[in-house]
Amino acid sequence: MSVIELQGVEQRFHARGTPDGYLTALKDATFTLQSEPPQIVSLVGQSGSGKSTIARNILGLQKPTAGTISFDGKDIFKLSRAEYDNYRRNVQPVFQDPYSIFNPFYRVDRVLWKAVKKFGLAPDRTKGLAMIEESLDAVSLDPAGVLGRYPHQLSGGQRQRIMLARIHMLRPAFVIADEPVSMLDAQIRKTFLDILLDFRRDHGMTTLFITHDLSTVYYLGGGVMVINKGSIVERGAVESVMHEPSHPYTQLLLDSIPQPDPDQRWTNRIHVDDSGTQTPDSAPQEPVV
Amino acid sequence: MSDTEPSKDTVLEVNGLEVTYSTNRGDVRAVDGLDLSVRRGEILGIAGESGSGKSTLAVALLRLLKPPGRVTAGSVVFRPAGQSPVDLLKIHGEQLRVLRWSALSYLPQGSMNSLNPVMRIQDQFRDVILEHAPERKEALSELIPRLLGQVGLEPRVARMYPHELSGGMKQRVLMAICVALEPDLVIADEPTTALDVTIQRVILQSLADLRRDFGVTLMVISHDMGVHAQLVDRVAVMYEGRLVEVGDVHQVFKDPQHSYTRQLIDSIPKLGRRAS
Repeated sequence: MSVIELQGVEQRFHARGTPDGYLTALKDATFTLQSEPPQIVSLVGQSGSGKSTIARNILGLQKPTAGTISFDGKDIFKLSRAEYDNYRRNVQPVFQDPYSIFNPFYRVDRVLWKAVKKFGLAPDRTKGLAMIEESLDAVSLDPAGVLGRYPHQLSGGQRQRIMLARIHMLRPAFVIADEPVSMLDAQIRKTFLDILLDFRRDHGMTTLFITHDLSTVYYLGGGVMVINKGSIVERGAVESVMHEPSHPYTQLLLDSIPQPDPDQRWTNRIHVDDSGTQTPDSAPQEPVV
Repeated sequence: MSDTEPSKDTVLEVNGLEVTYSTNRGDVRAVDGLDLSVRRGEILGIAGESGSGKSTLAVALLRLLKPPGRVTAGSVVFRPAGQSPVDLLKIHGEQLRVLRWSALSYLPQGSMNSLNPVMRIQDQFRDVILEHAPERKEALSELIPRLLGQVGLEPRVARMYPHELSGGMKQRVLMAICVALEPDLVIADEPTTALDVTIQRVILQSLADLRRDFGVTLMVISHDMGVHAQLVDRVAVMYEGRLVEVGDVHQVFKDPQHSYTRQLIDSIPKLGRRAS
């Protein structure tokens, strides 16, 4: 069993116009992700809440200004070369933009072959190709339809699924998915989420799923953490957080989902200040009936 | 549909509109014999799933349709206040340019990319206003803060560049530019898609305010039935290029006449405290 543990992680950035010259994007984030039993944990929050910062910290792309992130008890910023390779093998990202992750000059095969070579997944080309085809199949892509193509010849949903095929080949213990579906339309979005659910069931992958979309969280189920202004304000099982939110911010988020009933229109107003944070007119909010 | 009766309170009247995309696998009819009218002062919602023809309808009305798409039949009669009616599909060049922004404006999907990144917000207002209403030059310094205020933005936003604004703020700047010249009709294509729920709520609030306080007529295209339930007066449901249902939003949600409308309403996951 593998464990990623965040302990008091804080991330500050230099920023002009703030009182002390710093902006604290993430405050005291403490949680663990376990590979056994495999689970899907969503991290939900609005733009600027610090949710992508957490992803960058966990992936080792950004060293936090305080706190520790450990993998199986070892600080991920103090790993040896071999340990770090093992970490990268086991913690794989999927990013938001299915356009910018590919080098437009190379065929899409390259990201798959790179994985085969870098991690020594197959002893020879034939086995490597068989593996690639099997993984493309697992994400419902036709190998003949995508191999040999350039990124611009594929749709956004196909490109995102190529990244999932790459993950299927690597079988990491953890997937860190940062807004992977926000640029996809509803139908493709569902396909993508179903693949993540398959990966958990069939290959025991634990996913940290970062999103601003509550309906996606609801669809995935599992656990959820709500982040607001850099702090995790609520956590629990999706069912209980969605139906009995305890923090006012979670309540505001849920209350702001447009209900498909014209007789239940919002009666109170909310304001958004310039930093992108909201305050309800009257807090705490009463349910609108 | 019973609401194609022309009247002087009708801003836009679409009759038998047909839009075809030619592909190498044959022609695809994206809009197929559509009749619809928009009443002055109302918020009309256009609902439907991806590929139902909603956005094609919008770009066809705005004359922004690009090949291989073309209008193959129908008329779109537009009745700007105090001017004679025109068929939007028959006018060209200068006539069309004059109507845009001043009588007919467009709030596009993903307006994040619609602002010029190297111009201050006030200069983008100035561009639109001076082009279409040069006589307002003197009033600009008073007009711009007032327009920003209408969508809940502070006057200092005028001096900012687009990159200094959040997605929701950019969307509201665009809304303010859209209504700057008091157009007869604003067509908003998925105005809140890809925004956080709280920002979406603020945008919907601002759209409702624009109608309440300034009588703007709005056509709001959205795949989200929740958005229609919260905002619009009447909703028109599109399916495979046809209009399957038009009616009062309360009526449509309470007693949908078409099974597709029922499916659209039911497809929204009920969650949160208001769901029971």
